[in-house]
Amino acid sequence: MPRDKLGAESPDIHVSRRGLLVRAAVGTLTASVSASAALTAAHATGVDTASGGDIVDLTQGHAFYGNAQQAGISTSPQRFTFYMTFDLTSPLRSDLQVLLARWSAAIAQLMKGETIGQVEPKGDSQVGFDTGEALNLGPASLTVTVGLGPKVFTDTYGLADKKPALMRALIQLPSDALVAGISGGDLSVQACADDPQVAYHAVRDLARIAKDSGTAATRWTVMGFGRASAGKGQATPRNLLGFKDGTRNIRDDAEFEKFVWVKGGPAWQRYGSYQVVRKIQMHIENWDTDRVSDQNNVFGRHKVSGAPLTGTHEFDTPDFHKRDAKGDPVIPFTAHMRLAAHETHGGIKILRRGYNYTDGINQFGLLDAGLLFLSYQNDPAHFETLQSSLGASDALNEYISHIGSGIFFVPPAPQEGSYLAEGMFD
Amino acid sequence: MSRILPTRPLFTLAALLAVAPGAYAAANDGTMAPVKGGASQVHITLTGDNGGTCIVHQTVAKAGPVTFIVTNKTATAINEVELLSGNRIVGEKENLAPGLPTTSLTLTLGGGAYQIYCPGATKELQAFTVTGQAAPQATGSTAALLTAGTQGYAAYVNSVTDAMLTATNRLKADIDAGDLAKARAEYPLARPFYERIEADVDGFVMPGFKATDNAGNLDYLVDMRQSALDPKVGWHGQHAIERDLFQNGKITDQTKQLAAELQKNVELLDKVVRTLTYKPEDLANGAADLLEEVQSTKITGEEEAFSHFDLIDFAGNVEGAEQAFAYLAPGMTKIDPDLTARVNAEFAKVDAMLDTYRDPSVPGGFKMYTAELKASDGAKLSKAIQALQEPLSKVGAKVATVS
Repeated sequence: MPRDKLGAESPDIHVSRRGLLVRAAVGTLTASVSASAALTAAHATGVDTASGGDIVDLTQGHAFYGNAQQAGISTSPQRFTFYMTFDLTSPLRSDLQVLLARWSAAIAQLMKGETIGQVEPKGDSQVGFDTGEALNLGPASLTVTVGLGPKVFTDTYGLADKKPALMRALIQLPSDALVAGISGGDLSVQACADDPQVAYHAVRDLARIAKDSGTAATRWTVMGFGRASAGKGQATPRNLLGFKDGTRNIRDDAEFEKFVWVKGGPAWQRYGSYQVVRKIQMHIENWDTDRVSDQNNVFGRHKVSGAPLTGTHEFDTPDFHKRDAKGDPVIPFTAHMRLAAHETHGGIKILRRGYNYTDGINQFGLLDAGLLFLSYQNDPAHFETLQSSLGASDALNEYISHIGSGIFFVPPAPQEGSYLAEGMFD
Repeated sequence: MSRILPTRPLFTLAALLAVAPGAYAAANDGTMAPVKGGASQVHITLTGDNGGTCIVHQTVAKAGPVTFIVTNKTATAINEVELLSGNRIVGEKENLAPGLPTTSLTLTLGGGAYQIYCPGATKELQAFTVTGQAAPQATGSTAALLTAGTQGYAAYVNSVTDAMLTATNRLKADIDAGDLAKARAEYPLARPFYERIEADVDGFVMPGFKATDNAGNLDYLVDMRQSALDPKVGWHGQHAIERDLFQNGKITDQTKQLAAELQKNVELLDKVVRTLTYKPEDLANGAADLLEEVQSTKITGEEEAFSHFDLIDFAGNVEGAEQAFAYLAPGMTKIDPDLTARVNAEFAKVDAMLDTYRDPSVPGGFKMYTAELKASDGAKLSKAIQALQEPLSKVGAKVATVS
């Protein structure tokens, strides 16, 4: 509102915002220095300690084998993603087993920046095994994270009794406007990298293996650019609505242990996690003509600083009880931030790992874009709890539509010499 | 140098200002505007330095005619300069892109404190002083016109809900009689009223309910669609009736119950709007919100998914927005005649386009918004609304600053 802009407080706002930027930069450096002391392996895992992980080094790579969990969950988000789900096309348990083994070996090579086979075979009539478009591009911090959809854990594959305890379809959530063609899937692949072509190449070649083996076919996909959630040591990025996204995201190990990793069940499930994916369309043109005071009220935060409306700095704890002179809550009851807050839901948190996406222009001439929302949690009900209250009364619902949805169990990482979810076939 | 200074000090200062104006620009340093042709000359330069800098070369002027000479050298982020007296816009220059010729604006100013407002500049507000006799007491006519507009608009909203109640009663009577054909013809006649004013009651929460509880949200209970379903509260209101009439094709006891509930809620709505008062920016923002509704639910065909009467709702939203703006227009013309003309022109274009979809043979008066029509004309409809949304979105800020 211009009244805010023109008010007496306006010059102060500008001074403090400039001051905030300086402080934020200093804060990031300080945090990184202390983090680098603690994390001696930071370099090996691709974290650029001098920049809070925000400077791209395309030579960095992550390990596929050997960790408890798959890479691409607690890994600081890279710049791009290519996400795809697949339908199982073979009813044979052995086909599924072979596909997961072939994918595992391929992913391990891809994450090292290698090809997964000859690009230009010697025989003139042979086709290449690796499609080649990522040749010489480096690992670019690629991670490929595989998820198992509901159909995997059925009698078809003799795996009904192997179903992780909390695996199930999501309940119907308020305001769901799901489109079948961009929902569901039996397998999911989340490839993230600092070079979009590296991420694209990984999914393309994994899809080729799936097709070649007759086991799975592509279902739906989203190409994401611009991470929309912050990882450890990263500055908070912005979504396409221009707001900082994921300020209160899970960052520390204790919270990963508490909210993200599956701890119980058989050994092959431990340090797995439940992946929820939503394709959230944004009504961009409408948002862009909305007054900034309303935008701020929708989120409950200030657009530029990211500060809660009750505070002045991004990481100020929101005061959900604070009222203005008229007795109205400063952070409205329907503000996105209030409804998503762990305070509103008995302390529940989920890890968000979202990306912005665009599909160009739709049939109405409007920008077709939004958020590829990806969350990881050790209980799908945690996502449902948050989305139930958001879907019912979030002021943001005027400007977004949940059009795609999926749920997958992401098994832990395999050890070298093994493959993803091997223990599931025992 | 020692020989020049004592003899021509004034010229030296003038030369310095002309050569390196930026050096003197940072603060309100009291530089007096020279008078030329009877008008004080105030130069303003916009540059891209520090993301956008607004340099006011003269910060004091004598009462009387003052000419503001604005040059945008390199500031891509600043395209507007306003002179403010308190929160009131006294005058403004817009469309100030780098590379365009210098433009000027002459205003007759009385003595007093003003501010120069450069939206988007690192420092947006700068003090500007006019010395000498104060201007005669401002008539406040712009504010008075806007206030009168809000009162006129309130009466308009009341008339809309009155009409909505009448139409809802007719629809309920048809449903109670079990007359499917009549109810189907009555449904589109009962719809557009809410679409004209929905921005004003958006999110209205009934006493005793939480803001997040859709069971107490009148907007939800009257107008919710399948895509916004809250499973806990279930489906209510006009579109649940639409489903029964046009998809299920029969009137059941449940339909009658829905109609009775709708009538009760519309009566409540009719009472509630009588208690509402509006600020000028509410009208502007409400108009903008109605156009958002057009984009997000009418052009997509989501609003009337079963009956395909979306173009009636489309026209309802546009009419509501146009009325709200019309009540602001007398005041807006004084604030910004160019913007007012542009919004009016875009409304006229949308109206003319809507006329081409009129069909008197269809209840409600507009063609059915079929899948074919959506595919062939959706983009055209959307673009016309987008062209209106942009200028209209600027109106709220203009009217909110008038004290």
